[in-house]
Parts: sequence; structure tokens; C-alpha cells
Amino acid sequence: MKHNFFISWKFFLERKRQSFVATLGVIIGTAAFIVMSSMVNGFQKFFLKEALNINGHVKIMVEPTTDKTEILRKYYEKGVFKVLGYKPKEEKDNIRNYREIVRRYEKDKNVVGVAPHLVSNGVIIYGVKEKAATLVGIFPDKEERTLSLSEYLVHKRLEEMKRDRSSVILGIKLAHELGIYEVGKKITFVAPSGEVYRLKVIDFLNTGITEIDKSRVYLHIKKLQDILDRAGEVNEIVIKLKDYNLSEYYAEKLSAETGYKAESWQESFKNFLSIFKIQKIITSSVIFAILTVSGFGIFNIIMMTVLEKKRDIAILKAMGYEPFDLILIFTLQGLIIGVLGGIAGNVAGFFILEWLETIKIEVEGIIRAQGFILDRSVSYHLYGFIFAVLTSFLASFYPAYRASKFHPVEVFRSGG
Amino acid sequence: MEDEVILKGENIKKKIGDYEILKGVNIEVKKGEFLSIVGASGSGKSSLLYILGLLDKPTEGKVFLDGEEIDFNNEKRLSFLRNNKLGFIFQFHYLIPELSALENVMTPMLKKGIRFEEARERALEVLKRLGLGGKENRKPYQLSGGEQQRVAIARAIANEPAVILADEPTGNLDSLNTRRVMEIFKELNHEGKTIVMVTHEKELAEETDRIVEIKDGRVIKVS
Ligand SMILES: Nc1ncnc2c1ncn2[C@@H]1O[C@H](COP(=O)(O)OP(=O)(O)O)[C@@H](O)[C@H]1O
Ligand SMILES: [Mg+2]
Repeated sequence: MKHNFFISWKFFLERKRQSFVATLGVIIGTAAFIVMSSMVNGFQKFFLKEALNINGHVKIMVEPTTDKTEILRKYYEKGVFKVLGYKPKEEKDNIRNYREIVRRYEKDKNVVGVAPHLVSNGVIIYGVKEKAATLVGIFPDKEERTLSLSEYLVHKRLEEMKRDRSSVILGIKLAHELGIYEVGKKITFVAPSGEVYRLKVIDFLNTGITEIDKSRVYLHIKKLQDILDRAGEVNEIVIKLKDYNLSEYYAEKLSAETGYKAESWQESFKNFLSIFKIQKIITSSVIFAILTVSGFGIFNIIMMTVLEKKRDIAILKAMGYEPFDLILIFTLQGLIIGVLGGIAGNVAGFFILEWLETIKIEVEGIIRAQGFILDRSVSYHLYGFIFAVLTSFLASFYPAYRASKFHPVEVFRSGG
Repeated sequence: MEDEVILKGENIKKKIGDYEILKGVNIEVKKGEFLSIVGASGSGKSSLLYILGLLDKPTEGKVFLDGEEIDFNNEKRLSFLRNNKLGFIFQFHYLIPELSALENVMTPMLKKGIRFEEARERALEVLKRLGLGGKENRKPYQLSGGEQQRVAIARAIANEPAVILADEPTGNLDSLNTRRVMEIFKELNHEGKTIVMVTHEKELAEETDRIVEIKDGRVIKVS
């Protein structure tokens, strides 16, 4: 082993240019892997973390069902044998026993908090501008306990909502689109009844998730119930769990136990999750392509070494080197390239990420950020290194095998 | 002891396709002798040496090295014997260009399992003996043809082989360097080393203990 490594090392050192090019290929591949993984996963993890933080893990809502057997079953259990027709929509969009649900699940040891909402769509007006918005009526204390809303408020003025029921929190993007840049401004909301309400902007919601920031409006649930003339109504209950991996289990449990539809975050974010999956497939393909290219670089140099060195291989065999020694000599040469390239690629990847972190640019897409959101996990460095070594091993194995098969006499006779 | 046979070929035939290069050669190399194999170009000298050197498999016949009948299918054993008991020298010195003179001489030792430092010292010693002291760190291309061939000789004797096999070792050298190589061989032979040298130059063969003459794949004369 040692004697073979000695020869491999010499082959690597003495063929400087080729070794450098092959190693550079591995460096680029490894660094690209690390940087791309950090960027893609950074974005995805950021999105999920923030989205889950503000939207909770399981959502109980009123299912827009018109299934008659379902209605029959519910009433049959209560001993009423009359089949009812469709109920009017206003009455259906209401979780009647929400207090009981809140009380019951707040005690669950896996639950962080339970927040009842009244959600409605509407148009808000400021000056001559008007924008569609999602109005969410909240109990400030429950909301804070469950979804740590204050974390995302620019001025942390949630308390004010408790004192002044006509206060409102606007998604920052929505506010800017309306032309509101500071708190204290009054917006107008026209209720379905035609009545006009004036609401005071006390804070802005800044989650970084564009979709939320440009549509969401929070106000006290009592106020919204009042505006919509839906006293005491709640049409959505958001639950945050200690471990978000439990959300699918809890969604099933909750819908079985409450009779309402309970949706896990995985289901709520189905579209995003499938975009993420595609994103990962694309990144993986690009990385795979880069690794293949650097693999060919290694294959190339080892194959060239082997073909140019037929004579030396023959002489090594004449000196008593076995076929296995030759396999080792050339795979080790590949591994040297892989290990050095892997290490240098890790260092390069590390510094590229350091540099990316210092860059301040406004990014706006699915999320808004002031720079690249990176996931600086050590595992990407580790995987990058493992891939580099594995690629180089695979790429050098075939040429090494070929070398082990050369017949020395044939080489000598052909004039080597 | 004088007549102990160290290397023997028995009825060796080698066929390539339909062409029979060796047509039943019998040859004995005695311990401590300096033997030459002579013959015209194309008579089969190299082919015979490859078989005696366990580099090639005879189509028919047997080879005995140091009393052991060679199993030409046992690749591992063949490698071991080549490493431990045989030393090769070729017309074109075949040094590994990436390695220094010293490292070239060390390679068979390292394969044998000799520790790096010891191999280094021994290789230095052998190189010095062959008049290459001070040039051990040069790469082959930084050495003259004669010097390269002496490095190849140093490499061949590095593991103290039982038999040194040389295929036209002076074929590519000028007369001065040819003389030097011949003197080295004689000196090694005086120290008790067994040498088999293939050559087509009769005058060189005359300097050896015994001559085996080959023509068209047959031994025609032993003198
Ligand atoms: N691979 C081969 N195929 C066919 N004929 C070969 C091959 N190798 C050698 N020969 C022939 O075998 C004969 C002996 O070759 P060789 O042993 O090299 O002779 P020498 O070393 O005496 O010059 C020559 O006629 C050569 O042409
Ligand atoms: Mg020849």
C-alpha cells in the first residue's frame, strides 16, 4: 500500500498541469455543490420556518361540504332522523364549539398554542388606492402565545390592539402598495352592509414571505365580528405544535375528534412543497452534471497516464508489482485528486458562502430578503467531500483496471 | 556447488498464432555463472528471456527457478519470484520518468516490503557503487544514456536477485559505456551473481563464461 501510494503521489506531482486541471474540476464541483445546497436549502428552510411560524402547523376550518350523507350522519348520531337540506352559507362558515376546542387542545402536551380566527376577504382603501386583502380577526393574546406574532411586527405594538379595538396591522407590502409608510394612518373598510369603518394602522407585518406581506391584515376578532355582523363567530382555528413533524398525525386526530376539517401544513403548502421538490431535482441535476464533468476530468488524466505509461506499467510488473498494485497506484492517484480537490473545494465553498453573506441586495420573489439566505450546514461540506472522493474513485477505477491488465511482454515487443 | 542449476528451461516452445518462435529450447543456467545467449536478430532470444524471466508463458515446456517448477498460472507467485529472485535489464533502460534515479532503484525494494529509509540507504549505496554517487536525485532525462543504463542495473540488483537477466543491455550504448556495463557485469559475477545476457554481438559474448547460440528458435550450439 505504502509503496503504491508513493508512486501515485509522484505521478500526481510530476504531471503538474494535468493534475492541476483535474483537481480544479473537483474543486469547482465540490464548491458548487456546497454553495448550491446552502442556497437552495437556505431558501426552502427559511420559507418553511417563517411560513409555519406565522401560519401554524394544523388549521381547523369549516369544510365547504355539500355531502348529504355527512349531514345525515351528524344528525343521526344526535338522534334526529330528519334529513336536512343545505344550510345557508353564513351559518356553515362557523366553528360553533370553538371555545370547547380551544380549551381542550390548549391542554395537550404537544400543543404550543391554539388561536381562533375569523377570516374574511375584503377591500381596504387608503386615499384613492384600494387593495384586496385577507382580514384576519385575532385574539391578540392567543395569537401572540401561539404564533409569536410580535416577532414579525415592525414596531411590536400588538398590545395597542387590546386597548383600541379599531386598530389594525397591515402586511408591510400591502401598506407600501397603498402608500402607507408610517403608523397612525387611517384606512377605510367598507362592510358588506355598506357601513364604512375607519381603522388606525398601528403596526406592519413583515414576515419576508411576499404572499403574506402583501395580503394580510390583522385586527381584533371582536372588531371584525362586529364589522361583518358575525358576533361570536370563528371560522378557523390555528394550532402550533411543539414538533411540526406531528402535524399530519394531529390533523387526522383533530378532524376525527372535532368533526371539522383539519389540515396539516404539508397539505396547506402542497404547492410550495412540490415547487421545492422540483427545485431540488433541478439543483441535484446541475450538481450531478458538474460532478460528472469533473469525474470525466479525472477519468481523462488517469486514462492518459495509463496509456502513456504502458512501458512503466510493464516495467513495474517485471519488477514484481502485481495487478492489484497497479489498480491501487492509479486509483490512489485518482483519490489524491479527489481528496485534495474535495478539501480545496470545501475551503472555496466556505469562502464563497462567507462572501455571499456579506452581499446586500434586495431579493423579491416568493420571499423578500436583504441578501442570500444560506443554510450553513456542516453536512453539505461533508457530503461535498464525500462526493468528490467517491467520484474520483469511480472515475479512476476503470483506467486503473485497464493498467492492471497490460501484458508486459506485449508492451515490450510493440517497442513500448 | 559449482554446478548447481539455478534456472532451467526444459523443451520450451512458444507459438504466436501459427508461427513457432521457440521450437523446443533446453537451457540450464548454473549458479554463479555469466551466461550469454547469442543469435541473429529475430532468432528468438528475447522471447526465451521473457519466459525464463517469468514474464511470459511458454506454449509448452517447463521452467525451474531455484529448484521450483514454475506454475505460470499463479500470477501472485510469479510476481513474488520476479520481485525477489529476478532482476531485469532491457536495451531501452525503461526508467520511470517521474521518479529520480534513487526512487527508481527503490521501487523493487519498496514492493518487497523494505522500509523506506532502509531502501533509500541501500539504493544510495548501489548507485554509488555504480559510479552514480551525487546523481541520485536526478530525473532520468537529466542523465546520459550510459548513466540511465547503470541506474537500470542498480534497480535490477536492488533486491539481490538470484539471477540477473539482461536483454541487449549495451545495444543502445556507445563503446565506452558498453565497456563500463561489461565491467560492472563481470564485477557482479565475481561477487557470485548469476547473469544471463542476451546479445547479438559475438565479441561481447566471448567475454562470458558460456555461450548459448540460438537460431530460428532452436539452440544450435553451447560453448
Ligand atoms: N507478437 C508477435 N507476433 C508474431 N511474431 C512475433 C511476435 N513477437 C515476436 N515475433 C517474432 O518472433 C521472432 C523472435 O523474436 P525475438 O524473440 O524478439 O527475437 P530476438 O530477440 O532474437 O531478436 C521474430 O521473428 C519476431 O518477428
Ligand atoms: Mg530481442
